[in-house]
Amino acid sequence: MIRNCFLGLLLLTGMTAMAQQKPAVKVSGEVTRPLTLYPENLRQMKRTTVSLKDRDGNDHAYTGVPVQEILEQAGVTTGKALRGENLSKYLLVRCADGYEVLFSLAELDSSFTDRVVILADESGGQPLPAGKGPFRLVVPGEKKPARSSFQVTDMIIRFAKD
Amino acid sequence: MILPGLLLLMVIMTAQMPAGRVPAPVTLSWPDYFGNRVFLPAGNPVTEDGIALGRRLFYEKALSSTDQMSCATCHQQAKAFTDGKRFSAGADGVLQPRNTMSLANLLWVRQLFWDGRAGSLEEQAVTPLTALHEMGQSLVVSAAKLQKLPRYRALFRRAFGSDSITGDRIVKALAQFERTLISANSRYDQYLQGKYQPSVSESNGITLFYANTDPVRGTRGAGCAHCHGGPKTYSDLFHNNGLDSLPADAGRQQITGQAYDKGRFRVAALCNIALTAPYMHDGRFPDLESVIDHYSEHVIHNETLSPFLQQPLLLTKQEKNDLLAFLHMLTDSAFVTDPRFSNPFNNN
Repeated sequence: MIRNCFLGLLLLTGMTAMAQQKPAVKVSGEVTRPLTLYPENLRQMKRTTVSLKDRDGNDHAYTGVPVQEILEQAGVTTGKALRGENLSKYLLVRCADGYEVLFSLAELDSSFTDRVVILADESGGQPLPAGKGPFRLVVPGEKKPARSSFQVTDMIIRFAKD
Repeated sequence: MILPGLLLLMVIMTAQMPAGRVPAPVTLSWPDYFGNRVFLPAGNPVTEDGIALGRRLFYEKALSSTDQMSCATCHQQAKAFTDGKRFSAGADGVLQPRNTMSLANLLWVRQLFWDGRAGSLEEQAVTPLTALHEMGQSLVVSAAKLQKLPRYRALFRRAFGSDSITGDRIVKALAQFERTLISANSRYDQYLQGKYQPSVSESNGITLFYANTDPVRGTRGAGCAHCHGGPKTYSDLFHNNGLDSLPADAGRQQITGQAYDKGRFRVAALCNIALTAPYMHDGRFPDLESVIDHYSEHVIHNETLSPFLQQPLLLTKQEKNDLLAFLHMLTDSAFVTDPRFSNPFNNN
């Protein structure tokens, strides 16, 4: 019986195994240009470094691309276009483990706030550690780092329509 | 005398029901504290007749290649729709590679299976029905077999407006029935509704479940809720929980192809958890004590271990007992004996 089980597992593995994929962040929803950002794309974009007080209580420097920059590349309504009904749009950030966090677009926009939220791929000159990287959202200035979510895979922009 | 007359009238009405009749919609209900993040596809509204058909199909052995097995063979109501086995056998006797999952509160599950590969209950149902080592029968053959059985034409007409029996309608009806499997009457639910006073041990268990250990504040906790959610004791998450240094089953990595998903599996819902042994995707733990021991002191570090399980909990014996008391609070006896979810063939 056990042998059958292992055979079954081998079959399953053989049938459904997927080729190794390169990690990426997909930007979709209310965009004019859907994006799939690979590590090399982020390295070529405008970058900045911000500080985050992590769960260990210490400040850590993270480097990456401002979320606003990503939204602008995707053709999301930012800056002067972030007005009227566009203020009811939100960004849903989805992570590899299924975790999701949400921001109103105004929370991320330099015309509303000085806080710069980034999609980080580096800390202290090193790639992010396994379990947190390759892409982590870094949200400075919050009392707890629950929205600084690990292993980001998707950034989805939608209207709140209720 | 009146009852037989009414039954006869109902039979006549059923036989004469015109095609295109719209089935009566059902509004499912649940406690407010479950939240409304439910997944109800617009293309398959839940109806009275759809649920009734789905329930019958759930227990219908003609849907297997041997006519000996139904969904309920592995998903037994008394065990919160599991079967107590480490690996369930398919119609051909071959064991499944993973442990049978419990069926309850599926409205809140967006990604079905241990690896999350199905995005709806409709999509999910196709696999156990048709997989070679599960029920092992194509949906076309299943539909043809149902055509030849009494009552099914009428039941499909009532549920979907016409006599047509198709694989698509089979999985839709099954999904409708599964959406009604709402478990919300455990002692923990009753506590949340202000109807039950927990024992000291249960109360301590609740605190441990939600709290984290913090030496600065002097608090003790097991941090279970970080992944096992709030009042539903479920969150739609995938984690590697440190079972092996080199996971034999790649889990979610098989679906995403991402190295960081190696050995990641869906975080199990905890409702009725005391009824669903053995535990983990491979059923390696025979009881809840072993599960608690694992998280307390046996989590194995590996390259994709959840960042939330990096430190051993090192729970005391009393803390383990308290957590166990809490987990037993999650048993919903009414759910596992609810006649609405039972085998309709037993009533024939």
